[in-house]
Amino acid sequence: MALARRDRTEAFRDAVRAAAASIPQCDEVKIASSLIMHRTLELLPFTAAALEILGHIRTMESFILERRKDYLDRQRCTEEERDNIEHEVGLSVKACKQRIDDLKNSIAGGKKSFWKGAVNADLNAHQHGIVLMLSEKLHAVTTIFDALRASRFQKALDKTLPKRRPHLQSATAQLEAELSNRTAAATSFNRENLQELQPSQAQIVLDSETRALQEELSNLLDTAEDTERKMLEVSALNHLFSSYVFQQSQQIELLYQQAVEATENVNKGNKELRKTIERNTSSRTFLLMFLTILPLSLLFLDWYNG
Amino acid sequence: MAMSLRHKHLDVIKRMLNLNQPLPAGGTGDDAVYKVLVVDKFCRDILSPLIHLHELRKHGVTICFMIDVERQNIPDAPAIYFVQPTAPNIHRIIQDAARGVYESFHLNFSSSLPRALLEELAMGALKNDCMHRLSKVFDQYAEFVTLDTAMFSLALPDTYVRLNDPSAQDKDIETAVDAIVNGLFSVFVTLGVVPVLRCARGGPAEMVATQLDARIRDHLVSRNNLFTEPGHFGTSFQRPLCCIFDRNFELSVGVQHVWTYRPLVHDVLGMKLNRVVVQGEGAAAGVAGKGAAKSFELDESDTFWVANNAAAFPKVAEEVEAQLKKYKEDVEEVNRRTGGRADVPFDEQELLGNTKHLMSAVNSLPELTERKKMIDKHTNIATALLGEIKSRNLDGFYSLEEDMLTKGTVDKTALLGALKGKGTSDDKLRLGLVYLLSMESAAGAEIESVEAALREARVDVTSFLYVKRIRSLNISLASVNTGSKSNLVDWLSTTVTAGVKNFLSAGRQLALTRTVESLMEARLAPELESYMTLDPRAPKGSAPGIHTKGPFKEAVVFMIGGGNYLEHGSLVELGQRCQPGKNIIYGCTEVVTGAELSRQLGVLGHKMGVDASA
Repeated sequence: MALARRDRTEAFRDAVRAAAASIPQCDEVKIASSLIMHRTLELLPFTAAALEILGHIRTMESFILERRKDYLDRQRCTEEERDNIEHEVGLSVKACKQRIDDLKNSIAGGKKSFWKGAVNADLNAHQHGIVLMLSEKLHAVTTIFDALRASRFQKALDKTLPKRRPHLQSATAQLEAELSNRTAAATSFNRENLQELQPSQAQIVLDSETRALQEELSNLLDTAEDTERKMLEVSALNHLFSSYVFQQSQQIELLYQQAVEATENVNKGNKELRKTIERNTSSRTFLLMFLTILPLSLLFLDWYNG
Repeated sequence: MAMSLRHKHLDVIKRMLNLNQPLPAGGTGDDAVYKVLVVDKFCRDILSPLIHLHELRKHGVTICFMIDVERQNIPDAPAIYFVQPTAPNIHRIIQDAARGVYESFHLNFSSSLPRALLEELAMGALKNDCMHRLSKVFDQYAEFVTLDTAMFSLALPDTYVRLNDPSAQDKDIETAVDAIVNGLFSVFVTLGVVPVLRCARGGPAEMVATQLDARIRDHLVSRNNLFTEPGHFGTSFQRPLCCIFDRNFELSVGVQHVWTYRPLVHDVLGMKLNRVVVQGEGAAAGVAGKGAAKSFELDESDTFWVANNAAAFPKVAEEVEAQLKKYKEDVEEVNRRTGGRADVPFDEQELLGNTKHLMSAVNSLPELTERKKMIDKHTNIATALLGEIKSRNLDGFYSLEEDMLTKGTVDKTALLGALKGKGTSDDKLRLGLVYLLSMESAAGAEIESVEAALREARVDVTSFLYVKRIRSLNISLASVNTGSKSNLVDWLSTTVTAGVKNFLSAGRQLALTRTVESLMEARLAPELESYMTLDPRAPKGSAPGIHTKGPFKEAVVFMIGGGNYLEHGSLVELGQRCQPGKNIIYGCTEVVTGAELSRQLGVLGHKMGVDASA
């Protein structure tokens, strides 16, 4: 393919062998073996730790992707299982975040403990880059999971909303049916057993009480469902806001640091200004004295001389 | 086959960043290996319009270094070197490998590494006992800068001067032509097609074409050729046409003033590698402090730019206004729906619906901030442009030049007035040059008066005198504007079509566009008779096959000596105008502004000994 022509590694190796042949004192066997053998990569402890964290993030990602179908589908998972998944994911995210922070501190900490001499700025930059990549990857995985969670909330919301209406309607229909039944029964009773007025009256009172209770209970049910839905919405919004507030807090921290720097600069500026004023005044006084004393001394000498 | 040069170039770079292993389907490489990228200046320019720093991180690259900077050891990271194959770079690589700065070195050269340098590299590696570190050596054939989806530049400065220099040695011209051929070869390898070459006879275009033809021919007969072709379908596979032109073919386009958005930004604000630096408020008078210079990036991800870069400047200002209005309306809507105002009464029932709206509104906030940033950016650019246009009276220059170039007549008083009026000396010089180039039958006295006016305005007239001298030597510089008047019918048809085309397209037809159009449709026009055709695939000396005739669907147009966005714009327009749309890629040795080109003409004038005081 197109790549084959571009790979000059073989040509390079041939050139090395040819050059080795031309230089008599070269150990050709050693060169040939070093060209063929593949050296193993020795990692610094930092990079090894970073790769470990990356492995963790990857397992978490595969775990989420696996359970995603179960999680989203209504029938395959109970609420408990969903909560379990969320809990686990939350824990592992926290753990990963902790380790990334540790890694970041070890860059700064290592600077003081290991290298007492010159600080290896490039290595620091490289390690900061690694930490940044890890946190970006973690962020990506958490956004996937957040999207899943948001869709779960949405489904729960939709579920409660339409249920309210048919529930109410069926309840009222039921009530009306019962009521009509009861009245029919009552009238039939009345026609047939006129002398059993006492028990039927008690019956009617009981019926009305039951009806009142039923209405009250259904009202309570409605309000409870309302509250439940509002709570869901509030929690979803809360979650959304927390992520935005977190972003904002980072920006605010940045601004705060800049403000601190700015005040320091202004203070330094003030000091410099004060010094300049002092110098100005002192130099002015000196100049004045000089200019007054010299003419006076001139006059004195003039008087003295003549 | 739709060729998107930028896409293919980006693919090559991504594969390189993935240590030259094939990319997985996701498009980003394996990020478990933390790599370091080392580039030289030329290759950094190649990378900068294509890929941003944070995207590098997605491919596993933590930092990007310059090769000639003192770097410290990072012992456990593989390093990707992307450099030009020059001797100083090779020495630096050997030094780094000897010091063991990185764990392993993957060397990628932007074009083919010559045999001699490869042997030098091998010898150096052997002497320093570090061959095991240099794990891979690759030729990437990517030695060109892709500025846009269909535009590239070879970043070879001052080519026009070098090729037209009267005192140039053969050797100099050969090196210049070699560099151009190298770059063009890389372009075709990246595209993966073998073109059919057409160029005018005589001059640098023919030299470049013959050399490129020879190079591709050699390459095709060697093993493992780089040009992939789907099977041997032969006729069904459409090969693109490559037209090579020289700057002298149409010099006026290079120096004239412009009026459309993208050429204006390039000309006035100096856009380099899709980046523009705009001075803030208060810095115009040279007061340092409040006005900081802001740098903006203008590329395909900016939808406003993509939609409006070929629009005339007043229309652009209107568009910005319209976008701003729409944005304000959207923000109002969001505020209203989420009850952001204090006077809305608190309603229980509404609250429920409000929370839903709140969520959707909050989700749309990032998109709104993005739009606002884009509108701000374009407002800044447009304001800066407007300031410059007003102070230099650029619209006056533009209208005068358009009149001269389209109608062939000029209002002498207006011309002399403009030369005395506002504008930098560069502007006036350019106006004078356009006058010279467009007036085919101007009397000597008129030219003298224009020259005198230029001298009065304290303009360095060396380039003017140079162009005058060239014209008197009868080298064809002027574009065939009004068509040949030999045949009445011909003349009528050309004027009518020219008029209609002028009506349809915003500006006049450039000679380049006309020639490319007729070449692509393989029309038999008299001026094209002298154009030669070269087909690298056909065996030597055979008659041109079916591929080389007939209408071409795709073309690569290359301008030797400096191109600009005006030509690119007109070629894009041509591509869109044809039914069905044709794909035209435009390239040049470097992208020059009018001022830059007139400066090069001045340099040539000095070399030719045309004295300004004569």
